[in-house]
Amino acid sequence: MTNLIKENKLLDAVTTAFKIKGKVIRGRRVEVFADKNTVSSILLFAKKQLGYIHLAHMTCVDWIEQREFEMIYTIYSPVEKITLFVKTRIDRENPVMENIDTIWDQANTYEREMREMFGIEFPGLIGEHDFLLEDWDQIPPMRKEFDTHKYAAQTFFSRPGREDAKDVRDEISKRSGTAVPDFAKKYSRES
Amino acid sequence: MEDLGLKIFGAILTTFMAFAVGMTYGGIVRKLTARVQNRYGPPVYQNFLDLFKLQSKKTNIAHGFMGHMAPVWIIIAAVTVLMFIPILNGNLWFPNLSFHGDLIFLLYMMVFGSLGMALGAGQTGNPNSAIGVTRGLSQMVGYEIPFVLALVALMIQYQTTSVQDLTQIQHDTGVWNAFANPFAFLAALLASLGMYRYSPFDIVGAPAELASGPVSEFGGKYLGTMMSGGAVFAFIKLTLYVHLFFGGAGNPDDSGILATLTGIGILLLKTFLLYMVPVFYGWINPRYRTEQAIRYFWGWPTALGIIGVLWAVY
Amino acid sequence: MENDKSSQKIVDYIQNFARKHSLFVLAYGTGCGAIEIPATMTSRYDAERFGIRGAATPRQADVLLITGYLSTKTLKRVIRVYEQMQEPKYVIGFGSCTINGGMYYDSYNTINGLDQYLPVDVYINGCMPRPEAVISGFVKLQELIQDGKANNGELYRKNLEHYRTNQKKIIKNWKMPDYNW
Repeated sequence: MTNLIKENKLLDAVTTAFKIKGKVIRGRRVEVFADKNTVSSILLFAKKQLGYIHLAHMTCVDWIEQREFEMIYTIYSPVEKITLFVKTRIDRENPVMENIDTIWDQANTYEREMREMFGIEFPGLIGEHDFLLEDWDQIPPMRKEFDTHKYAAQTFFSRPGREDAKDVRDEISKRSGTAVPDFAKKYSRES
Repeated sequence: MEDLGLKIFGAILTTFMAFAVGMTYGGIVRKLTARVQNRYGPPVYQNFLDLFKLQSKKTNIAHGFMGHMAPVWIIIAAVTVLMFIPILNGNLWFPNLSFHGDLIFLLYMMVFGSLGMALGAGQTGNPNSAIGVTRGLSQMVGYEIPFVLALVALMIQYQTTSVQDLTQIQHDTGVWNAFANPFAFLAALLASLGMYRYSPFDIVGAPAELASGPVSEFGGKYLGTMMSGGAVFAFIKLTLYVHLFFGGAGNPDDSGILATLTGIGILLLKTFLLYMVPVFYGWINPRYRTEQAIRYFWGWPTALGIIGVLWAVY
Repeated sequence: MENDKSSQKIVDYIQNFARKHSLFVLAYGTGCGAIEIPATMTSRYDAERFGIRGAATPRQADVLLITGYLSTKTLKRVIRVYEQMQEPKYVIGFGSCTINGGMYYDSYNTINGLDQYLPVDVYINGCMPRPEAVISGFVKLQELIQDGKANNGELYRKNLEHYRTNQKKIIKNWKMPDYNW
């Protein structure tokens, strides 16, 4: 544990400043669980005071049983080379999250994607609503209640004769009448 | 009367020969480029196949009156310039109209084809065409200056503007103009790099740069005519250079079949060797932007042209 | 002069010979399969010896390569590009996604089979097909052209209603010019 000094120092700095919980996952990975109202203060603090100047990624996870969305912000410091995850939970029925467009410019693209795919509102977000999907009239497609398989089978014309999860060599041997070669017999699902 | 019939026959024969030779040169160059790049290339007659395929398209899309006229003007310009250059020196079969025109007339007829293409491309309304045409005409401003200086040097040195006379003088004195006035020759050679539209001066019709510039809205028969017009123009300019600087081809005293064929053979050999200079240079160079190209042409080639004019005066 | 059978055959033979040995491919990569196109065109698997060249605009091109999946956004643009080409024109479908959906068969945004929206001449399967497979697809197209069976441009024009209904089921905001060529 002696070589996790930098990570523990970072964890202490963030958790004592904002009175939140956190964990060191391994070397160079630290995660912090925050309340949704203080996320932008934590990000700005990390950017200005601790040197975490690069927003690497921003994403959302759908916890459908707990009825929450989890937003995860990934920021990185090129001096200390540590990746910091800032995680929050927001309500799933009426998702509203703060717009961090003013801290990092690239958050605009990520937030537009989340507005289209999950339906999260970001007040003050500038950008057209049609980002990746054109003329979309169903619920936001990355939510887990959206049955993408059913939608695809309804809208697009499938070619008949396609079934899933068949073994390639078994199918070839059935259709051409030859036997499965010896070196492949141990992978066959028929036997 | 018989003389007139022979002249008309010679004119038609010249046109077909220019067309066939120009397209074949294009095919040979494509094959050589492929071999240099360590691969096999298309067959030598590939340009003819492209032309047949384009002419046999079943539907035609045109954008108005100028779109129809643009390929026609290129053909007109090519054939007119061809008629005013003597293919073989003093031959009865290919005399063309070589006395009634002269170098100054040829200079401005060569621009006529580009004008036609510019008007046709402007009619389509595609912004790519407009940018391509602007760049092409700017580049032409660049290379015309050393070219005109070289020709003026020749005209001053020999006190004549007829191509026929210049070729005859080389025949009489026995010294090619390339060595009699080397500065003019170098200036004209460097200017010719811009005429054939090989690298580094191929920004006009570059497919990846600009969606192929002026020809971007032409398809089918119009595109076929434009591509073959380019090939014919290349052959015309090569013949002009050979006659001005390398002694021309053909014997003015002998007009039999054997002498004609030998004359054509020597002409083809000289034009092919001269064509290899811009092609070789093109294989190893990337592309210049328009302002870099103009800066190149107004540098050393113009200086050499001016020295050539001074050499001719004294 | 009446339509003499043997002279028509000679004309057809010469036209098809020229058409099959000089194919202009539109330089437009619609999906991830476009990464195999530069490999086919450059020195190792030389496609230029068949006469295949890249063309810059749809007005100059003969062959449209649909390389891979098509999302609904791209389908609208591809239809517009296809209608700008001049006949005779050919469509080659690359990869499994044009045949039956490939690995994106259950996605909400990609189409499952290209045949319903555009008429296809040759399918090349693979994910992605290697350059040797691409060249064998082009050779198959050349055989079809020589036999005179590659008239799908006319087929599109004659069955325009059928293709349009299929396309309009997916593209809801149809604001495109009418097909008048």
